[in-house]
Amino acid sequence: MNQFVELLISGLSLGFVYALIALGFVIIFKATRVVNFAHGSILLLGAYVVARTHGSLGFAGAVLAGVLAAALCAVIVQLVILRRLRGATTDTLTIVTIGIDILLATELTRRIGTKVLNIGDPWRDHVVHLGSFSVPSARVAAAVVAILVLAAFTAAFKYSDWGVAMRSAAEDAEGAALMGIRLGRVAAGAWAVAGALAALGGVFFTTFPTPGVQATVGLSALTAFPAAILGGLDSVTGAVVGGLIIGVVTTMTSGYQDHIAFLGRGLGDVVPYVVMVLVLLWRPSGLFGTKEVTRV
Amino acid sequence: MPTLTEEGVNGLTDAVLHVRDLSVRYAGAVRALDGVSISVTEGSVVAVLGGNGAGKSTLLRAISGTLGLQGGAVEGGEVTFRGQDLRGRDPGTVVRSGIVQVPEGRRIFGELTVEENLRAGGLSVRDRGARSRARDRVFELFPRLEERHRQRAALLSGGEQQMLAIGRALMSEPELLLLDEPSLGLAPKVVDRIGEVVREINGQGTSVILVEQNAAMALAVADQAYVLEVGRVSLSGTAAELADTSEVRERYLGIPGGDTDDRPHPPHAPAPSADSANGRPAIRELDVEALTVRFGGITALSDVAFRVEPGSVHAVIGPNGAGKSTCLNVLTGVYAPTSGTVRYGDKVLTGLRPHRIARLGVSRTFQNIALSPAATVADNLLLGRHRLSRAGFLSTGFGLPGARRERKREQGRVAEVAGLVHLDAQLQRPVAELPYGDRKRVELGRALCADPALLLLDEPVAGMNPDESEQMSQTIANVRAELGISVVLVEHDMAFVMRLADHVTVLDFGERIADGTPAEVQQDPAVLRAYLGGSPDSQEAAG
Repeated sequence: MNQFVELLISGLSLGFVYALIALGFVIIFKATRVVNFAHGSILLLGAYVVARTHGSLGFAGAVLAGVLAAALCAVIVQLVILRRLRGATTDTLTIVTIGIDILLATELTRRIGTKVLNIGDPWRDHVVHLGSFSVPSARVAAAVVAILVLAAFTAAFKYSDWGVAMRSAAEDAEGAALMGIRLGRVAAGAWAVAGALAALGGVFFTTFPTPGVQATVGLSALTAFPAAILGGLDSVTGAVVGGLIIGVVTTMTSGYQDHIAFLGRGLGDVVPYVVMVLVLLWRPSGLFGTKEVTRV
Repeated sequence: MPTLTEEGVNGLTDAVLHVRDLSVRYAGAVRALDGVSISVTEGSVVAVLGGNGAGKSTLLRAISGTLGLQGGAVEGGEVTFRGQDLRGRDPGTVVRSGIVQVPEGRRIFGELTVEENLRAGGLSVRDRGARSRARDRVFELFPRLEERHRQRAALLSGGEQQMLAIGRALMSEPELLLLDEPSLGLAPKVVDRIGEVVREINGQGTSVILVEQNAAMALAVADQAYVLEVGRVSLSGTAAELADTSEVRERYLGIPGGDTDDRPHPPHAPAPSADSANGRPAIRELDVEALTVRFGGITALSDVAFRVEPGSVHAVIGPNGAGKSTCLNVLTGVYAPTSGTVRYGDKVLTGLRPHRIARLGVSRTFQNIALSPAATVADNLLLGRHRLSRAGFLSTGFGLPGARRERKREQGRVAEVAGLVHLDAQLQRPVAELPYGDRKRVELGRALCADPALLLLDEPVAGMNPDESEQMSQTIANVRAELGISVVLVEHDMAFVMRLADHVTVLDFGERIADGTPAEVQQDPAVLRAYLGGSPDSQEAAG
């Protein structure tokens, strides 16, 4: 029982990190109908910048630099590459993001090599004791920051002009354009926010208990992809719920690995995708996604 | 066709908007506008009339800068607003220069609240004070929106949604308002109210371009009017002048100008032979009984019934939003009805999957051409033979003799069908290279390749010019005479329907309002009302 609760808390805190990353997928998809497969590499870029700059800028300054770098990178991808491909279908653009991912990931892997970089966070390997349970401080910080960021995002999405523009464009791009909403700016804004969220997710994705910034982080961050899909790719709520589900499920699977050893080792890596497939069999548009309607 | 007033309005210098000799093409293929010129005088209401595919919406898109979103581009001519060239401007800039378009089909943001919709409309205005003043004015014009300002827009009724769409556009306080078919699918009373609203908005100093199929309403509120036909201005003049022309009356009602019906009726089909010898499904009667279809809260079809006699041409007509396409989609199994049954001979079609229905010999065409553009006409037609082909993946891949024989046989049949729809010369050309009218023929040919006993045609002449439409009606009459099959067609073009159909069912707001021979239906007051709009007592004025 003790172990269960501990895993649950740890899973939820990891889940909030996934939620931040999954939200990036969702924002980009809502605004531009593109699935951004370069998201993992943009996250890695953010984490890499933090790891490289915390010595000179301090941790807070480094996080700011990382967030800005990732946001800038995302905007460049949108403005310089995707927007120029006028007339291309969103499927084509999605495949282009795979190419961008390969480029970015290759360059970052070349720079990082086999090293494991320290993110320079103030929490190190400290552990917080909640009653009889112990949780890494970094995870507590992750949960707190993620909840604050998600709340701020939700409020902005609901109440600000930016949010109204985003939601109008997501629902009917041409209708929004006719109202004078500039779709290009909405798209660039969405990519910037998604990039910033990815960098933030990247920071907590590389703190204790994970070893640090490695070249493989971009790939493992893609675990947030099934979170976004199972929540429904166009739902903000879905991203959060999906993130939490994936966080809990992976943590539980790894935690109880010895009990389910008959299924083989490394199940934690596979289980997000298993859950995603199961959810999609039950609800093809994800938990909170909009059903696709085609007119004949 | 002649211009009624020779100098028209083009000569006037106080026009705010000038469109001169505008030509527009979509995706490099279909020419939607061809040398269109219109102008809007300061403070006036200009009506643009025309059927589906006449280019009305394209004209508005060219003004509002949204052509690019649809893959269209201006080929020639110019659009100027207060002396500024609007070509190549993005929609955001056009809105900021004072022109806002209310799109066809309202396109409100259903997930957003009424208030948020209005906010979205005002985002281009920087000054917060101006925004809230605009909102107060919108609420004054539409008190209903204020009452329901916290509700999700999707929950509003059709009329309220149209009010919201107009209100949303007014939030940026435009000098010129473009309205694209605001009366589409609305009840006559609501249509009257929209006419009043247009007058009120105009009274406050906003110029309006009103694009409509509802000629009566549009001509009642407009100062000037233009009729578009297949991308050209075919008539123009003051609204009063146009309302008097027999052309307008004929075009919107299919009533021949004064003369009695002297058009040749297509020869009636030979009695359908028991054709099962060559594997063709037998031709049976189609019975639609008490059909009701609801989508969420919207009733698309309500208790609709009609019967299609074997070998006859049966037309289902009605204004936009009447439920015609829904009806076809139920017949082909794409939609499941909420209640009611469709029987074909002794088989019940309701509840069957689309491919099972196709196997019974029911074949259809699509309103918005659904062909593979890169494939040749022959290959597109061959696709229609799919249901009747036996050769599998491997036998075709290895070129086994059976598969080769079958291919030869199928190609022979494709050539026959191509002859029937006059596409023999185009067989080896990719569909993308064909003009619009020919693509519609390929649609028809593909449906015929399935050797149907019942052919469903979804707007076969939408967007065609009178010549193309005449040819298409000949082709369909030929097909029917040659094959003896039953045809159900959904269509807007009244003249076409009256020429071709043996029997007509008229739908409006999902209900059957008339059923009978073309001549009977044409005289039916309910039909006149549905097509002209207006309440029963205003009908004389309209007609």
